[in-house]
Amino acid sequence: MTFLNFWALSFAALAPVIVLLYLLKIRRKPHAVSTLMFWERVLQENRRRALFQRLRNLLSLLLHLLIFALILLALARPTFDRIIREGSSVVVILDARARMQAIEPNGESRFAAAIRAAQEYTGQAGELRQIAILTADAEPRIAVPFSGDEKLLRERLSQLRATDAGGSLEPAIALATNLLASRAGDRRIVVLTDRPQPVTPGSIIPVEHISVASPLPNVAITRFAARPMLASPETTELMLEVANFGPAPIDTEVEIALDGRRIDVRPFRLAPGQRSVQITPILPTAREAAQRGWITARLGTPDALTVDDTAYATVALPQKLSVLLISEGSWFLEKVLSSYSRVTYELLAPTAFRVELAAQFDVVIFDQFVPADWSWESMSGNALFVGKSPLTREGPPLLQPLVTASDREHAVLRNVNFDNVSIATAAPMEIPKEAPGWRFEQPLESSGAPLMITGVRAAQRVAALAFDVEQSDLPLRVAFPLLVSNTLQWLGQSPEGGDFSSVPAGALIPLAPGDTAALEPSQERLSVNPLQPLRNGFYSLRSGEKESWLPVSTFDAAESDLTTAASLSSRPVTTLPPAPWVLPVSGLPFWHYLALAALALFTWEWWLFHRRQTE
Amino acid sequence: MDGQGYRALDTAPAPLLFDSKFLAKLEQLHILSRRAFRGANRADRPTRQIGTSLEFADYRNYAPGDDLRTIDWNVYGRLDRLFVKLFEQEQDLHVYFLLDASASMRWKPVGTSRPSKLDQMRHIAASLAYIALANLDRAKLLWFGSALGSGSPMARGKAHFHEILGFLRQPPELSGTTDLRQSMRAFTQQTKRRGLVFVLSDFFDPIGYEEPLALLQYEQCDVQVVQILDPLELNPAATGDLRLLESESDIALEVTADAGLLARYQEEMQRFTSGLSEHCRRRGMSYIHASTEVPFEDVALRVLRNGLILK
Repeated sequence: MTFLNFWALSFAALAPVIVLLYLLKIRRKPHAVSTLMFWERVLQENRRRALFQRLRNLLSLLLHLLIFALILLALARPTFDRIIREGSSVVVILDARARMQAIEPNGESRFAAAIRAAQEYTGQAGELRQIAILTADAEPRIAVPFSGDEKLLRERLSQLRATDAGGSLEPAIALATNLLASRAGDRRIVVLTDRPQPVTPGSIIPVEHISVASPLPNVAITRFAARPMLASPETTELMLEVANFGPAPIDTEVEIALDGRRIDVRPFRLAPGQRSVQITPILPTAREAAQRGWITARLGTPDALTVDDTAYATVALPQKLSVLLISEGSWFLEKVLSSYSRVTYELLAPTAFRVELAAQFDVVIFDQFVPADWSWESMSGNALFVGKSPLTREGPPLLQPLVTASDREHAVLRNVNFDNVSIATAAPMEIPKEAPGWRFEQPLESSGAPLMITGVRAAQRVAALAFDVEQSDLPLRVAFPLLVSNTLQWLGQSPEGGDFSSVPAGALIPLAPGDTAALEPSQERLSVNPLQPLRNGFYSLRSGEKESWLPVSTFDAAESDLTTAASLSSRPVTTLPPAPWVLPVSGLPFWHYLALAALALFTWEWWLFHRRQTE
Repeated sequence: MDGQGYRALDTAPAPLLFDSKFLAKLEQLHILSRRAFRGANRADRPTRQIGTSLEFADYRNYAPGDDLRTIDWNVYGRLDRLFVKLFEQEQDLHVYFLLDASASMRWKPVGTSRPSKLDQMRHIAASLAYIALANLDRAKLLWFGSALGSGSPMARGKAHFHEILGFLRQPPELSGTTDLRQSMRAFTQQTKRRGLVFVLSDFFDPIGYEEPLALLQYEQCDVQVVQILDPLELNPAATGDLRLLESESDIALEVTADAGLLARYQEEMQRFTSGLSEHCRRRGMSYIHASTEVPFEDVALRVLRNGLILK
């Protein structure tokens, strides 16, 4: 037998106090009577029973000492330990993946049941019985290193929460195995999960899986993404996938909201096990300046797991473009610029241009003009050169060049048709050989000679058209406004824009040094790099003055599929399995029985006292 | 006892009040005496003396000097001899009331409206004394406790009832435990004329009551015993760890009262009262148990009559 709280036995020093209290006289209640004559006669008879009286007092004292001893033993928490020389070590792995948030029919979450089961183990912690607690979500984490402090273990347990991320238990089991590898005595791994895994044969350390779940139906949003349409960049396509993991068909609907404002409701009829994908175009408009482009899809049918009923994404809200047109006068360019509602432009004569002005506009259009002090290194902002450009090389102009090649996949030439476009003359251009950092393309050419060149350097872009639009019939064609629109949008586009897909919870997001992240709307700052968001929602990524949004959702069919839970369940959690390090006495620690015995004796003594059997 | 405590010696004597209707009822009663005593004055109670009443007693031969009015001429006519008629002498009865004024008689349980044993005794004694006075008997009251105390003057006639009440209103403070033997011995020594003796007490004398009562009988007294007790003396209910304080002394006794102890006490008390009753019956004395829970009017008009003390 081992006493886990050996210090409690020091209270045995109080036993003489009980004996002393017995030696003290009872404070009796004064009571006047007419005569003591008859009382004395009665008590004379009682004195003949003095021996019995003394025994009665002795019985009372013995009962109290016995009750005291039982309480002391219960406090000392004795256990019948088979291995007391080297002790034992147990690693309790708590499955903290998203599906552990599922609510069981009894109203308790799987994770809460796992915590309760873990407390059964931590209640047996002691000096010779060290327990460590790991959590397993996207990756294993050590919640409490090996400790025999039951209070500490309980406190940490109460602070643990299930995450919204998916993952695997194997890394956690591997970590637990590593933790136990250097420890002596009895070693054991207990995994509290909803989906026990088969025990690996030949494992040195026994792994015990305890299921805390039952199979449940569930409907989940398994994919949700937004992207601008190729044909119309101002239009966003939403891709939504909903899956039914239940045994019965279900009719449900998904509400789509933009910045909290409902914009669509999509119905879904799903057979058991079916997944359904719907692609929906939306036209996001910025009604308010404070809008952030948050788009949320929410299932209308409540089910066991709520974390996968909501998915998050962001869309690019249309931005205003400020354009500076440096020109002696170009009627077509002015007209086409004024026709765009998103574009505000200013006209400036070439002689009034200064380099520092370029940084104040999203795009600068140089019409037949190249600044004298212009260089690739010192260029600031985004620029479109029409006719004359820094890319123009020496040589004779191209006369009536025909468009022989057009890269329709290029952003600036999307949907632009150059068939039968007549060009009078075009300036000869070439991609410069000495432009460090720049990457050039020529999406439009005539028999190998470039008619348009685009260049990208980090966040900076440049485009050059080899001919004056007034020296062609391009302004008279539909292709002209499309070309200008595509080019302006490409030039004004932010370099990180365009990827609006949601990130799965638990994914690692590398952050640049100095960048910070925070979960909206709680503003919980996350400064760990790489960022590993474990909660679904919108994360604010701040890099200097610039802020962007990172939508995070569960998106893991394995997490949403609750039907296979407990399929390999070995034992119910309420009855702990017999283990070498635990005395299996009907599932209760031995000190419980000592406390119950003390209570029973106390009740008996109270009963005897009130019947004057003891004093 | 469950909250019912005891109070001793601090009870003020209850006023002795009698209404005229009750007194009128008392006038209809007579105190019975098993024996005939020689009285001091002519009255209604027959004696063994020959006198001048209307009650015929006997004949005797005429002797010179006898009153000629006493000669029975009818007998002379039949027998031709002179006989004189003798008549009984009717005299008064001396009635003595020995009243226990010890501390135990003043004890009264707290929380009850019952009178103390002393009050109950005073009312009973006053009632009996009024009956005696109304029948032209002589009444005398004496207090006793550890010794014989003061006594009232011998009273005769209802006019002296107020003197009796005045005596009863002032019970003496007699310390010590009850000593019946000493008190009865002193009574017989100082009382020349025998008569009817009422002993009113709780008889809580550790030495016993047998010898004192026998002494009274030896001295030719007709003894009537009235034992006055409170119900809680017969059946106490106090339980727990108690420190019992005796009213007649400073002696304290520590007990742990439980149901068993109380039962044994009741048995002991029952043995005591039944012993006194049986003793009186065997010795030809009347015994009356007067509980304080019975109104004294009922004691006087019903209990004493049923006990053949009054008719």
